[in-house]
Amino acid sequence: MDNGERQSLRVQYGETPGGLAGPAKALLYATLILVSVFTLIPLVWLACAAFKGPGDMWSFTFLPYGEVQNPDGTMRPARATVINFIALFRDFGFGRNLLNSFFLTATGTSISLILASLGGFALAKYQFKGKKILMAIMLATMMIPGSVLLAPLYELICHMHMMNSYAGILVPGAVGAFGMLLFRQAMLGIPDDLIEAARIDGCSEIGIYWRIIMPVVRPMSGAFCLMSFMGGWNSFLWPMIVLQSKGLFTVPIALSQTIGLTGDMQYGLLMAGTFLGVLPPAILFFILQKEFIAGLTAGAVKG
Amino acid sequence: MDYPPGKAPLAILIVAIVSGFLLLIYPAKKSAGNLQVWTFADSHFKAYQKVVPQFEKTHPGVKVDLQFVEGRAVTSRLRAAFASDLPVPDMLETEISSAGTFFLGPLEDVGFRDLTEELHKPRPDGPPWIERVVRSRFAPYTSRRIVNGKAEDHIFGLPHDVHPVLLGYRRDVFEKHGIDAEKLTTWDAFLTEGRKLLAKLNVDKSGDGKPEMNHYLIGLSDTDCGDLEVLLFQRDGQYFDAEGRVRMDDEIAVKTMLWYVPLVAGPERVGYPVGWNWELTDKAVQSDLILSYVMPDWLTGFFEQHVPSGHGKLALMPLPAFEPGGRRTSTRGGTMLGFTKKSKQFATCWELGLLMYFDIESRAEQFKELNILSPLKGSWDHPLLKAPKPYWSNQPLGQLFASQADNTPPQYTSPYIQLAKAKLGEALCDCVARYNAKGARGFEAYVRKRLKQSADELRLQMTMNPYQ
Amino acid sequence: MSNERTNSYSLWRHQQRLAPYLFVAPFMILFCVFGIYPIVKSLYLAFHVTNGPRSVVFTGLSNFRFLLQDPDFYSAVKNTAIFAFFSVFLQLPLSLGLALLLNSRWLKGRDVFRFIFFTPNLVGQVFVGVLAGVLFVPRFGLVTRFLHWAFNANLDMKLLGDPDLVMPALVGTALWMYVGFNCIYFLAALQSVDKELHEAAAVDGANRWQQFIHITIPAIKPVALIVVIMSTLGSFQLFELPFMMMGGPGPNKAGLTVVMYLYQRGFDIGNLGYASTIGWTLALIVLTISLAQVRISGAVRGQR
Repeated sequence: MDNGERQSLRVQYGETPGGLAGPAKALLYATLILVSVFTLIPLVWLACAAFKGPGDMWSFTFLPYGEVQNPDGTMRPARATVINFIALFRDFGFGRNLLNSFFLTATGTSISLILASLGGFALAKYQFKGKKILMAIMLATMMIPGSVLLAPLYELICHMHMMNSYAGILVPGAVGAFGMLLFRQAMLGIPDDLIEAARIDGCSEIGIYWRIIMPVVRPMSGAFCLMSFMGGWNSFLWPMIVLQSKGLFTVPIALSQTIGLTGDMQYGLLMAGTFLGVLPPAILFFILQKEFIAGLTAGAVKG
Repeated sequence: MDYPPGKAPLAILIVAIVSGFLLLIYPAKKSAGNLQVWTFADSHFKAYQKVVPQFEKTHPGVKVDLQFVEGRAVTSRLRAAFASDLPVPDMLETEISSAGTFFLGPLEDVGFRDLTEELHKPRPDGPPWIERVVRSRFAPYTSRRIVNGKAEDHIFGLPHDVHPVLLGYRRDVFEKHGIDAEKLTTWDAFLTEGRKLLAKLNVDKSGDGKPEMNHYLIGLSDTDCGDLEVLLFQRDGQYFDAEGRVRMDDEIAVKTMLWYVPLVAGPERVGYPVGWNWELTDKAVQSDLILSYVMPDWLTGFFEQHVPSGHGKLALMPLPAFEPGGRRTSTRGGTMLGFTKKSKQFATCWELGLLMYFDIESRAEQFKELNILSPLKGSWDHPLLKAPKPYWSNQPLGQLFASQADNTPPQYTSPYIQLAKAKLGEALCDCVARYNAKGARGFEAYVRKRLKQSADELRLQMTMNPYQ
Repeated sequence: MSNERTNSYSLWRHQQRLAPYLFVAPFMILFCVFGIYPIVKSLYLAFHVTNGPRSVVFTGLSNFRFLLQDPDFYSAVKNTAIFAFFSVFLQLPLSLGLALLLNSRWLKGRDVFRFIFFTPNLVGQVFVGVLAGVLFVPRFGLVTRFLHWAFNANLDMKLLGDPDLVMPALVGTALWMYVGFNCIYFLAALQSVDKELHEAAAVDGANRWQQFIHITIPAIKPVALIVVIMSTLGSFQLFELPFMMMGGPGPNKAGLTVVMYLYQRGFDIGNLGYASTIGWTLALIVLTISLAQVRISGAVRGQR
């Protein structure tokens, strides 16, 4: 059928050349905008709360403005303030918590990336003894919820003297069957001729991995990095078990301790800390949005 | 440079390297001291910071490293440290509701040093410490073992406090309506007068069938067992007996629950939960929502700091008794000072502990800041305790609490004390729900059954013990 | 010269054969130590009772017998199951509906909306839990105030302090977090449906509803199944959200989940053996449910 017939069919079914009928369109946008507002308001509130000083936290829904009465009767201007951030960094050592989070998450991600892509490459493009068994075991372990491992891992880490150290987080964290299978999926589609050609040119296997395979799976690497970073940044239970001294705490653990405080500064500090804790993954996601979604859905849709 | 995995992995790698580098050149501040002390309460931390320089002067060569560690972290770190080879502090404070959890197992496995002998040692300047301190305050930090049919008490911590409980009431409201608090010596009297007062206050002025605002007589929780346990202790109820057997379903507990629930639930309720949100509490005081509060000594300090609306309006009276002539106080909360077995400088730690806890002058200073009474019987005559406190209608707060300090009931403990408190809270919630739904019909039988259920669940959990 | 060549050739051949093993080796070693060993060890621990990592005592099946009569465990399972059920089955229509809206052909700014809907998930359960704890504060919290303004709810209601309100608060927060995330899955599936199919059907006289039933729904069934399984798996492992919102099990155990119970028994009390027992029971429950879901969807698919 030609364009003209299609057009008339569309009109027949309530579609104007520009799309749906006017009111339906408006309703659609209205719904989406309403949902967006609901989605964003708590986060907007968070951003505002991070900048509200003690006393203003509950008196203003979002940002403070105008004047407020002091307990002794005098007036003071109510403004956004960075006092929470100053207290966070100066009195609570939050800078160190941020640094710990960044270090553990970024290092963990980098290591996982290498291990998962290496392993995925082996699984995708090689035949070797035990491959089938390995994949079966990996799939089986993925079905087991992580909480089963908490107790024995804790005992193992205690005996290996890795308690209260970065190693206690990084080493067990490098294991990821999920990542390896993801990369395998992505690498299956790489034409074997490409690899053969490289071999004929005298390239070593590791060279093939580094110079040929990795650039090809960049979208998957981007998606994997984001997932791994987000997972590591937000990880709470295991770090809480392993990390014991204040100087090693990550951001989530530091925040959970601020909850126990009382007093006027508590909420401001908590919100400022949460705000800072939310930014890094948000920024990373913003940059890598397309890769992430492509990587996420590639497995699911074809799955 | 072209990093094969891509831009984002490169950025992350750079972040890893940079942050790792920064962590290397700014290592966490190593504790400069050789005597490590942990405390979990911000207020204690500030108070001890004042004591440390004095101690270091009289003990050259000792550098005290005072650390503030959050409550839950203290327990988990200590447990992990006792179990593996992590360093433990030399001495630490732990809260009353978690102290008992460390007493599980044979005595050799308890990480805290046994202080019983030290406390009984005769002193050159008077009786041994065990007699100078309110005896009941050792109960929550004592583990009783039956050896060859004889009961042996092992004390593992020094008590920081007594925490007597008084009733903080709205003196202004009471006076305005002609109620003489001195006459309200029993709970019956208090509740009767209180209900009459509420009837006067909860009037419907606008004619819509409901009062403008419901006033409540006393701040009591309907979900948390904290207030219930205060009243339970007042009439000699306990979670456990001195040997660690579960007692929370005995007659006293049933009677207390039966008495308590109709106060916080049902049509005749007079209690309203207070909670820990100070903004809310301040507004409650401003609007006369709650007319009296169960006040341990430490809570008065919080009120002074965070509830400015109460200034001059609140006053303290002893708790009304359950029977005429009965006990007029109770206790809530507590902190102990423990000394770890792994520490190699017990003698020095002991002296620091004595300075922090049992030195009359330093405790008087702490009282000025925190309103917390020392458990040392001889310290209650200090002039600082007699000072009138304007917030509390110029009452001599210290004296009032001190007058009841010797009457505080003990709190017997067990390694399962936390579980017991959780179970009581659950029983309370269920009893409240039942009372709200069905009222007094068959309520006593229900309470009895429900408390027994909680106690049996607790007993069941206690059998899960590697040392059985 | 030909010797040299053969030597370097055979070396090259060698590394080609060894390569897969070497590539997989680091993963294998770590996996055996930190993956396989703990799984086996936890099975071992499940038959013991401990007080911290040191004192381990063999007790045979008594942990399992205890579990079967443990009222706290049943509370945890009940709470977790209720949470999983509501959050999964409320999410499905919501995220699917949202995806359908986003899939409208001529919609402008789809990327912007997509990013906005995804943001809550990106924040992570820990931070959402902290934020929610503050938003649900009685009288002052944003959500409390909103519910009072919109539905005339009691301003003093304690969303996290009242045993009956805790579960709706948790489910609501989970919905806020995950609807956007699942919406993206559905959107990708919808967008990969061949538009030609729709047009061909339209030519054949099918109206939009029929198109939806016979083209759209079958196309997204695999994705829907994945979403349901993933959401169920995730819901059953709920821990951070209630833990950060209420600091623990909440009033009358209303917020006690299975993983939280595991943590309590294993790390607060120190009984690592019983914690392992709980963990394996959870694994069994989760596995059974996933299998059931796959079966049911297969049956439904077969019906077509």
